[in-house]
Amino acid sequence: MIKKELKELVREGRFRWAIAVLVALLMVSLFVSKRYYAFVNNQHAEARQNARQEWVSQEKKNPHSAAHYGTYAFKPKYPLSLLDQGVDKYSGVSIFLEAHRRNEAQYMAAQDQTALARFGDLTPDFILIFIIPLFIIFIGFNAFSRERESGTLRLLLSQGAGAWKVLLAKWVALLVPVVSFLALVLLLSGWLLSSTIDFGEFQWSALIGLIGIYLVYYLVFINVTLFVSAFTKRSNTSLVALLGVWMVACLAMPKVASSMADKWYPYPTQLEFEEQIARDKKAGLNGHEPWGEASKKLEQETLAQYNVTRVEDLPFNWNGFLMQKGEEHEAEIYFTHYQLLKETFENQSRVYRATAALSPYLPTRFLSMGVCRTDYHAHWDFANAAERYRLELVGKLNGDLMNNSKTGDWAYQADATLWQAIPEFQYQPLSYSAIINIQKSNLLTLAIWVLISFFALRAAVHQLKP
Amino acid sequence: MFTTTIFQYEWRQLWRDRWIIAVLGLFLLLTAYAVFNGTEKVATRTAAIAKAKDELARAEAKQKSDIDSVAAGLKAVKETWRDPRLLSMVGSRLGRVAAMEPQPFAFVSTGQSDLFAHYTRPVLYGEASALGFSELSNPVQLLFGSFDLAFVCIYLLPLLVLAFSYNILSAERESGTLRLTLAQPVSVFRWLLAKLSVRFLLLAAIVVFSVVLSFLVFGFPVHQHVSTLLLLLGFVLAYMLFWFLVALLVNLLGQSSGSNAVALVSIWIALVLIVPAVISQMANTLYPVPSRIHLLHQYRLAEAEAEKNANQILKDYYRAHPELAPKDSTQANSYQFWLEYFASVDVLKAAVQPVIDRHDQALRAQQQWVEQLRFASPSILLQTSLNQLAGTAPANYTAFREQVIRFADRWRGYFMPRMFANERMQSADFDQLPAFVYEPPHVRTFATDALALIVFCAAVLGLGLWQYQKRAAALLTS
Repeated sequence: MIKKELKELVREGRFRWAIAVLVALLMVSLFVSKRYYAFVNNQHAEARQNARQEWVSQEKKNPHSAAHYGTYAFKPKYPLSLLDQGVDKYSGVSIFLEAHRRNEAQYMAAQDQTALARFGDLTPDFILIFIIPLFIIFIGFNAFSRERESGTLRLLLSQGAGAWKVLLAKWVALLVPVVSFLALVLLLSGWLLSSTIDFGEFQWSALIGLIGIYLVYYLVFINVTLFVSAFTKRSNTSLVALLGVWMVACLAMPKVASSMADKWYPYPTQLEFEEQIARDKKAGLNGHEPWGEASKKLEQETLAQYNVTRVEDLPFNWNGFLMQKGEEHEAEIYFTHYQLLKETFENQSRVYRATAALSPYLPTRFLSMGVCRTDYHAHWDFANAAERYRLELVGKLNGDLMNNSKTGDWAYQADATLWQAIPEFQYQPLSYSAIINIQKSNLLTLAIWVLISFFALRAAVHQLKP
Repeated sequence: MFTTTIFQYEWRQLWRDRWIIAVLGLFLLLTAYAVFNGTEKVATRTAAIAKAKDELARAEAKQKSDIDSVAAGLKAVKETWRDPRLLSMVGSRLGRVAAMEPQPFAFVSTGQSDLFAHYTRPVLYGEASALGFSELSNPVQLLFGSFDLAFVCIYLLPLLVLAFSYNILSAERESGTLRLTLAQPVSVFRWLLAKLSVRFLLLAAIVVFSVVLSFLVFGFPVHQHVSTLLLLLGFVLAYMLFWFLVALLVNLLGQSSGSNAVALVSIWIALVLIVPAVISQMANTLYPVPSRIHLLHQYRLAEAEAEKNANQILKDYYRAHPELAPKDSTQANSYQFWLEYFASVDVLKAAVQPVIDRHDQALRAQQQWVEQLRFASPSILLQTSLNQLAGTAPANYTAFREQVIRFADRWRGYFMPRMFANERMQSADFDQLPAFVYEPPHVRTFATDALALIVFCAAVLGLGLWQYQKRAAALLTS
């Protein structure tokens, strides 16, 4: 019976066309993504090298001036981004690291592209998440209605084949092409990823996990397609209804969700955010203003602690010490404000998770980006790591000023040995266990979706009985 | 004569069908939600600008009163660097709010507005070209996009059209009524066109009604912007017509209703989803955007080079600008730090400008090339036109950026000579400060884009006619 279903499917021109187009699109998108990936990685390597070169070839200068000169942290691109670019286009790629300021990541690709880019790019994730569900609908919308229209359904059922068997045959017939396609994706991308030398760390398990997520996503669509097909009398109605489902789930819901998230938990504007931080900074310790109130207070405390009367008598350079204390104070302000921002982001994520109950697209989208390390969480993690490195960098430079020179010695200069002694920024991405932990609610939602869809399918069986 | 009868007949048929009410309700709902969303976004944007301007006005009032009380001797200046009359203080703390006020139709299309900041405050210090024009936002939101009127028109409206007309001929043939029609003395093509016209007019009325009603409900002063509104509706209706004609063409191929539906949705997927995505991806790969990180590296190299010669810079600067040299060399200038900075800015600019220009040129060439590709699909054409109508197109943001950079020069130009002359700020001077007004760029592509849409329609209609002539016999008998 399954054989008969598959045979019928293959015989259909529509199916053959769709498969041909899909495979062609997949090939093109993988090829183009791979080129883009290599291009970005080359740029990244060059930028990193340049930034390090700039840093170590600084002339002799006050270490704090070097902290102001600063350097850059560049966000690496991970192998699985070949399959899902996630939000990479919309998040900056480099963070300027300097004294006194935590900067936002700069240079999002989308800003330099035309409005055309907002339609989306032909990347494998575009095919996997938008097009394959449509493909499922296309080959399955008339699974029952066609047989009903031609009267063969009655025939099948009266021949003794149970409704269950008919359903199972249809289900498998829909699943086989989808699984074959996924297998093709797995093989092609696995081959591409493992055959290219500079593709960094690539794990088959992550790729298989990603394919698994998509398989579950497609199961939902297969079940829904058969369900609708079983419940509608005519193929046309079934097609229109299923397209409606697809439109709502994949096109409209993400936009509705993002509109709601933005409305309920809006981000401050860039300038507002900066001004709030500036206000807090003004009230506190500033390393560049030894005459400030907070600085004077710290001076008194430090003098008392070391039992001396003048800053010149301290065993270290007072200005270096003050710079470092000021930096630590500012770092705390940044931490507080970024924590608030992160709360807004968490609240927005909650809205997305809640709306995921209305569309299987949303949990899949988030899971896919998460596994590929191209989601917003990955970006936050990178930005936090860069901030930690910045504090370490500035701390080392201030420490050098503090310990290797005397108070008031503004002529002190450090040289390349210090610049070289500071290690380059190294970033360790989120581990998969951390990613799973972040994504557990999306995993759960997707699991509930597939469960409900199976229950719906069971209801469809009763509908089939004559 | 007979056409009118078909018209009336079709009209009555459709009217009796509850379909119309459903389509009207659905479209009205979608439009209203989209307009609501857009209006909210624009309101947030306007409020943020107003707040920034308000804060500036307050800070300015405080500065003025401080200056007045110091000038009148009511208040002593504790430290010279805290003197409110210092030009450097005004120039670096009271930078104007250079804002890109939303255009009247901004709510129609989010366009690029979620990517960029809509106001910034250039001050004496720092390079305006390096100012961050990016907005703080959740990138997930940028990825998903907004539910705006442009989305409803570009993506959803064609699907409504297709649901409305996929079986315009095939249903008649399948139910057997085609034979009856053919017995009448009228050509099938004209009869189909009449049927299609009724549907087009009906849906057009629904679109116009929904759009105008939503605009009115959310407080848009429709009567003040009639011509732009007509332009907007004109583009949307032309796009809609294109999809009706596609439906006609597919019907004329003589397949069953089911096949028609599948074919039409496939065309929709191709033109709305795949063609733009393929082009966008190809553009990225074949014509990559010049790297900003590379630009930055070159900028920093030039900067470091200029800094090495910092001591020599001010001397050279005075040689180049003798009018700025101090007249009385015995009196120390209170802006010494700034004067050195201004001098270095000029040197730095001269050093990095070629790098920036080269980058901008490469970027512009790439974007122009990509812009040509809008002719590949009617949906890209509509998107371009709606963005331009809304003032949220890339061109608007480039213009804003360029205007801010020019304004930053004007701002510095006001303070620099006065600081070289060691002057002080008076409270009356505030009226003379340069003000920023955003000038939206002139849009020249409406005519070409409208023409391109019409060409698309004509091409599809032509294909339909050709198909009809080829298959007229088959259509009648099958």
